[in-house]
Parts: sequence; C-alpha cells; structure tokens
Amino acid sequence: MSSDPDKLVAKADKLTKLTLTRWSADWRNATLNYEQAANAYRVAKKYGKAKDAFEQASKGQEMLSSPWDAAKHMESAAALAKEIGNWNEVADLYRRASELYVECGRAQPASDALGKAARAVEDHLPDVAVQLYTDAISLLEEDDKDQMAFDLYRALTAVYIKLEKYTDAAAALLRLGLAADKSSATNSQFKAYLGAIIVYLYAHDVKAAEKCYNDCSQISAFLGSDQGRCGSRLISAYSEGDVEEIKRLAQSSTISHLDHAIIKLGRKLPTGEVTAVKAGTEEGEGLDENDLT
Amino acid sequence: MSVIDILTRVDAICNKYEKYDVEKQKNLNVSGDDAFARGYAAVDAEIEAALEKAELASKEKSKASTVALNAELRRTKAKLLDEVPKLQRLAIKKIKGLSTEDLAARNDLVLALPDRIQAIPDGAAAKQPGGWGPSASHTEIKFDSDGRFDDEYFQESEQSNQFRQEYETRKRRQDQGLEMISEGLDTLKNMAHDMNEELDRQVPLADEIDSKVDKAASDLKNTNVRLKHTVTQLRSSRNFCIDIVLLIIILGIAAYLYNVLKK
Repeated sequence: MSSDPDKLVAKADKLTKLTLTRWSADWRNATLNYEQAANAYRVAKKYGKAKDAFEQASKGQEMLSSPWDAAKHMESAAALAKEIGNWNEVADLYRRASELYVECGRAQPASDALGKAARAVEDHLPDVAVQLYTDAISLLEEDDKDQMAFDLYRALTAVYIKLEKYTDAAAALLRLGLAADKSSATNSQFKAYLGAIIVYLYAHDVKAAEKCYNDCSQISAFLGSDQGRCGSRLISAYSEGDVEEIKRLAQSSTISHLDHAIIKLGRKLPTGEVTAVKAGTEEGEGLDENDLT
Repeated sequence: MSVIDILTRVDAICNKYEKYDVEKQKNLNVSGDDAFARGYAAVDAEIEAALEKAELASKEKSKASTVALNAELRRTKAKLLDEVPKLQRLAIKKIKGLSTEDLAARNDLVLALPDRIQAIPDGAAAKQPGGWGPSASHTEIKFDSDGRFDDEYFQESEQSNQFRQEYETRKRRQDQGLEMISEGLDTLKNMAHDMNEELDRQVPLADEIDSKVDKAASDLKNTNVRLKHTVTQLRSSRNFCIDIVLLIIILGIAAYLYNVLKK
C-alpha cells in the first residue's frame, strides 16, 4: 500500500470502476483506500482533494451499508469544506451527513451536524443558517429531546437579532420558553420570556411587549419570579415614560444573567421616544369612560 | 470661714429646726383653724420644694438622675394640681374674722396657684434617637410635658446631633455592603439554577449510558464464557493430538523393533 494519496485514490477508483474484468466493485478495499488517501491529504493540507476523498469514502461506506461511518466521513468532508470557505457546499455536506445520521436512527448527532453547519455559515449566509437551525431544532423536538434544543434556540435568536428581525427573534424566544416549559426548566423559561419582552421593547413595540408580558403572566410562577418582576417594572416604566427607571433596570443584575445578545439590547434601552406611550394610554382611558355599553 | 458662710449655715439650721421655734408656731397657729390657710400654706411649701428640686435637676450632670428628678417633679405637680380645686372650694367659704378683701385675695391666690405649679420647670426627654418622644402611638399614655417642646431641654444638643449623624453613616455603609452581598447572591442563584437545569439535562443521557454499558458488559461476559469453552476444547483436542503423535511414535518404534527382530 503506497502512502502517496494520489496513487491510493487512483487505485481505489480503479477498484470501483466496472469494467469487463471487474463485474462488481470492490467497495471494501476501495473505501479503505479512499480513507487513507483522505487522511494523507488532510495532513498535507490539500483540503480540496481531501474533501473529495472523504466524499468518496462516504459513498463507499454507504455502499457497504454502514450509514454511521458514511455520515462520519461526510462530516469530515464538510469540515474541510469549511476550511476552504465554500459555504454552500458546507451546508450541503452537513445536510447529507445529518440525513445519514437520521438513517442510523440517531437524532442527536443529526441535529449536531446541522448545528455545526449553521454555526459555520451564520456569518456568511445568515438565512441559510436560520434554516439549518430550525431544522436542527425540529429534529430534536420530534425526538423529545427538548432540553438539547435550548442552545440551538439561543443561537437562532442571536442570528435573528443580527439580522434585525426582532419579531422573529422574540418568537424564537417564546418557542424556547415553550420547550423549557415541557422539560420544566423554569429558570430558562422565565429568562426566555424576559428576553422576548426586552426584544419587543428594543424594537419599540411597547404594545407587543405588554401583550407578551400579559400572556406570560398567565403562568403564575413567572409573575412571582425575579424575571417577571423585572419585566413588569420595565413595562410600567415605559408606560410612565420614566427614562431613568428604564436605565436603572437595564443595569440590574436580573438582566445581566440573560443571554449576551439580549444584554446588549437591554443596555441600549430605551430606544426612541418613551413619553409618547403615556398619552396613548390616557386616550384609551377616556374612551372607556365615555363608553357606557 | 467667712461671714457669708456662717449666715447661710445659720439660716439652714433655723429652717431645719423651725418646728421647735415656739413663737413662729404661735404665729402660724393663728391661721391654724383656718383650713384654707393651712392647705394653702402646705401647697406653697410644696411648690417651693419643687422649685428647689428643679434647680437641682437643671444643674445635674448625669442624665439618669436628671430624668429621675424630673419624673418626681412631675408627680408632685400632678398631686398639687389635684389639690387646687379643693383649695378653691375652701377659698370661697366665709370664715369669721376674715375681711372681704382677704377673701378676694384668697381667691386670687388660689387662681394663681395652677400657673405657679405649671411654671415649675421639669423636662421631658430631649430629642435623642431612641429616646422618648411625644406620645404618638398610644392615646392612653400621656406625658406630663403637655406638648411644650420648645423648652431648652428638647433642643438638639450637639451630642445628639453627632450621634444621629454617626448612626446615619453607619446605616448607609451597611446598606451598601448589603447591596453588594445581594448582587453576589443573585449571581449565585442564577448559576445554581443553570447547574440544576444542566444536571436535569444530563440525567437521561446518563441513564442511556448506563443501559448501554450494561448491555455491553453482559455481551462481554457471554463472549468470555464461550471463549473459555472453546479454549478448553482446543486444549483437549491438543492433548488428543499429542496422544496420537505419541502413539504413532510408539508404533514406529515397535515396527522398527519388529523389523530388527525379524532379521
């Protein structure tokens, strides 16, 4: 067995090509050769060739009906693609790896693969990253492994915030809250709710923030918790137009325990005009008095 | 000893032994059957004594004794005030040998009595933190000072001011320290909650590992037993082979011997 990766690849190709003399491809040896070649390429830092070799190895393993090894090779290929910087291909390779893992019946590594993919591409292809994260989360939720999904939710929220899609970010946080509720992780749940309220306030959508707070208050434990109290104080500070109070609350320790991205948003509160809200609420009260029905 | 001293001492001694002064008593006894005069004289004497005590109290250095003396003064004043209405009734009665002017005078005297009694200085507690104040809590508890709080005794003394300031500074410092502790506790609480959730997350994983390891262990045990059987079997078959080989050697030797003997 020559250690020269090119020769190995050539040999493996020959083994797999069907010719007159060869009626069935010898996948076992071919796969072995491909793996060796891929490792050699990786050491030599020839990432493109290594990636190709890994892909071939993965195909070989698939033919040998061992999806687990195939998936592993696919992941290595994807990691190398990341080194090259070919982002679309990275996403594709990781997706394939994840599918193979699902074939094995192992949801956790599948979702891990998608998570790695999303993390790799989030700087360059944020939309693709969003899609990857969502898929990863759904994989875990189908398998009832909600607790593993928390990190993915948080990463997803961070991507949304970077994209400035605040409603989506808040929605993601609320879904986090739901997942946390299912696994009775109350601390994470309340932190998620408070985060959602802050995101709404940052987007200067005070009504939505209030509605969000009211919805979350349905859970009595949230009302009495630290985060609930902080949220209620924020909302009341906004409705009274008390900028000092808002600034003070943003520096409080409760908010400092939240996710990084949310802390950054919180410190930047209040955004825009805060006094306008007060007039709005007064108008509402006037209507109520005149409305005798 | 100077003359002044002697005079004072003589005065003091005379006052002390007044009751043995026959002449003076005779004068007093003139008004002896006059109940009013008697009562009035008694009240007068008490007022004088109270005033003396008040003087002493204001000169006192120790606060505790001042407080005690003031309390006594107040008690005396209360008693005297009770006596006043009795005297008033006596004053109106006409007594033989008394002129109308005297009667009027007596009335005035009696009316003047309450004022004189109130005028005896006594103090309530000054504004000290933690000391008494005007009774704000309970309506049944009444202090004798009757709300006169602009008296000198109530003014803030420099000592009490300093005390109060020190108290405030210390309280502020304690509050600061407590705030820092509270923040630290907040962080600890958050970390503890997160650790709790993390452990909760890892419990099913650990269970899975447990079951998988159990399966692997039982598989291994099985394999070991089978391996043992195979190895013993192999060894016995080896023994068997050795037997065969030895047998062949013996046969070979026998054949050789047979050949040799045959020749």
